[in-house]
Amino acid sequence: MQKSIMILLALTTSASAASLRVFPYDGAKFLTGQKFDVRIEASDIKAFKGVTVTLDGKAWAGFQQTSSAEGKYEWTLRDQSLNKGGVHTAAVVIQDGDSTVTRTLSWTAESFKKTSKSARNVIIVIGDGMGWNTVNAARIVAKGYNSENGQSRGNLEMEKDLQGFATVTNNSLDAFITDSANSAAGIMTGQKQEVNALNVYPDNTADTLDNPRFETIGELLKRTRGMGLGIVTNTFGTDATPASIATHTRRRGDYQSIADQYFNGPAQPDVLLFGGSRDFIPKSAAGSRRKDETNWIDQSQKKGFSFVSTRTELLKADSSKLFGLFNIDNFPSYLDRAQFKRPEMLGSFNDMPFLWDMAQKAVTTLEKNPNGFALLIEGGMIDKYEHPMDWHRSIWDVLELDHTVAYLKEYVKAHPDTLLVVTADHSHSISVYGGYDYTKGPGNRNAVGLYETSSWPDYYKSVDQNGIPVLKDAKQGLAVGFANTPDYCETYTWTEVFMDPAVSDGKGGYVANPEACKTGVLRTGNLPTNASSEVHSSDPLPLFAWGAGAQNFYGVIDQTDIFFGISRALGLNPAKENR
Amino acid sequence: MKKLLVVLLFLLGLSHAQTPIKFTELYSEVTVRGIEFSPILKKQNGQQVKMVGYMAPPLKPKLDFFVLTRTPMATCPFCTTAADWPPDIVLVIMPEGKELDPSTRKLEVTGKLEVGIKEDPQTGFVSLVRIYAKQVKEL
Repeated sequence: MQKSIMILLALTTSASAASLRVFPYDGAKFLTGQKFDVRIEASDIKAFKGVTVTLDGKAWAGFQQTSSAEGKYEWTLRDQSLNKGGVHTAAVVIQDGDSTVTRTLSWTAESFKKTSKSARNVIIVIGDGMGWNTVNAARIVAKGYNSENGQSRGNLEMEKDLQGFATVTNNSLDAFITDSANSAAGIMTGQKQEVNALNVYPDNTADTLDNPRFETIGELLKRTRGMGLGIVTNTFGTDATPASIATHTRRRGDYQSIADQYFNGPAQPDVLLFGGSRDFIPKSAAGSRRKDETNWIDQSQKKGFSFVSTRTELLKADSSKLFGLFNIDNFPSYLDRAQFKRPEMLGSFNDMPFLWDMAQKAVTTLEKNPNGFALLIEGGMIDKYEHPMDWHRSIWDVLELDHTVAYLKEYVKAHPDTLLVVTADHSHSISVYGGYDYTKGPGNRNAVGLYETSSWPDYYKSVDQNGIPVLKDAKQGLAVGFANTPDYCETYTWTEVFMDPAVSDGKGGYVANPEACKTGVLRTGNLPTNASSEVHSSDPLPLFAWGAGAQNFYGVIDQTDIFFGISRALGLNPAKENR
Repeated sequence: MKKLLVVLLFLLGLSHAQTPIKFTELYSEVTVRGIEFSPILKKQNGQQVKMVGYMAPPLKPKLDFFVLTRTPMATCPFCTTAADWPPDIVLVIMPEGKELDPSTRKLEVTGKLEVGIKEDPQTGFVSLVRIYAKQVKEL
């Protein structure tokens, strides 16, 4: 009896209360030769005696040890890679007094073989927040139905002639709802990441720029193949999605660093076309968001970039490196730029390119690189207007993106060695649930048509110079709602000058915007009262693909698998392709 | 609701005429290289002006300063250092010792205009146009 108590006591004293966190996480998957940093963090260590780290049974040397507080130890080793394909085992053993703390991790490395059929170029298109229901609403708006036979009058360009098609699940490392940073960064690297993170694992330091990193597809293709790299979006350029292919930070709001990383970081894109000049102009310029005097408009030109700031200048550009800033902030929506044209929304920006103008110029600039190119194109304002439930602005931006896809599909037809992938980073809780008779004015519940009492939508009957429906000409529209909302007033219609759905109550909460309530129906929200807008949902996303390797995208896949699908299409093996 | 009605009156200076300035009159041009103050704004720098707008979502229950916006806004300026701001905003600074209750109503602000980039050393918030308020009243 006494003996067993003694053993129990011995076990109790030898069990360490230390906890251990290791990145890459257990189950991580890389390409062979894809670089990543290793970070080990131990806390609640009472009597640290030593650490052993092994990879596949062999001692792994070179870790830099730090101790951020009493009982806390960290080890960092940067720029590692798994150079042989297959499953690898890493083990961390920490001696704490008489006891040991052990963590074993299994990592997989995949490699692909380049063949004559491998893709030479890759174009990744992300409709930010463009879940299936968003695409569905856009199709109904653009095409409508034939009332004679009940058939849809057609599909969107992004839905037609598919050569690859998948349903994509999405979630973060720390949450099952993603934001645009970790989701796009997951597509670019194959790694699960935390909300607001761009191509880094978490760590225990306050510095958001020192986190363990891993290589993005953009960096890999630059480093191993010398390919051209381009980023195009209609949001501000340092926003999460454009940043996802070329930068690293734990906090997507590190806008100044993201801007700097574009020019000084590991990827250094050759084409950058977007809004948000405020992160690229010196602090002393009114409207700048920088904290220093760096002027990337001037400095980029010393690095060989041509600089353009209007559509006219963009269309004339003929350089091999191109930097375009077309707004101080986000582009206004397609409806604002092409149809409403209100000075309150456009300001002095009266010569902005369309997304397809930027995509086309990016392609023709990048294809000068004999090694091929990688291009990320984002339709970013889709999400920006889904959040405030301004679905008209959002859906018309999907149509702008669809026009861009039409051009890209033509390019792929002429250049079959190009892979084109169109997908979304996350969804919104949007849903088409009926019709709305616009002739009955805003905020009229009885103008909502259900089932057979709704009229066929007639948006398609009048189109603008780009072939996109003229919103103000529509008489029979859609009733579109969102499953999660703050308190707001539903008008069913739109305003030519944007209006937030909810405004501050001055006490940390949000109430329906009184301006919208003048015509709208008050709807009590179902989100916490401190939420000012609709939030992302977990719904699966569509992925459409064309060109070389498009067949790699099939079935139900996770968004981190997209990285490997693209790598497979390119026949990428960074371990063997070091230039 | 009546309790929310905050009227701060400072008799000094109110006898002077205040030039009304509209949000659309703040800048002559916003280009990718930055914002240019309008001639009207430059001319009124240091003068008594009047502006009508809304209070951007505040963080504090009592305010010694707030951001005046053209339309009611959902964005909280001080929640992050980089909230998506419209360029046309005005920082309103309350007189020493005078604090204001948060309000969602339309406001009329009267006071001395100051034009130019200024960084608040405490919050890091950069403002381009400020009004040192003499009076803030709900309309």
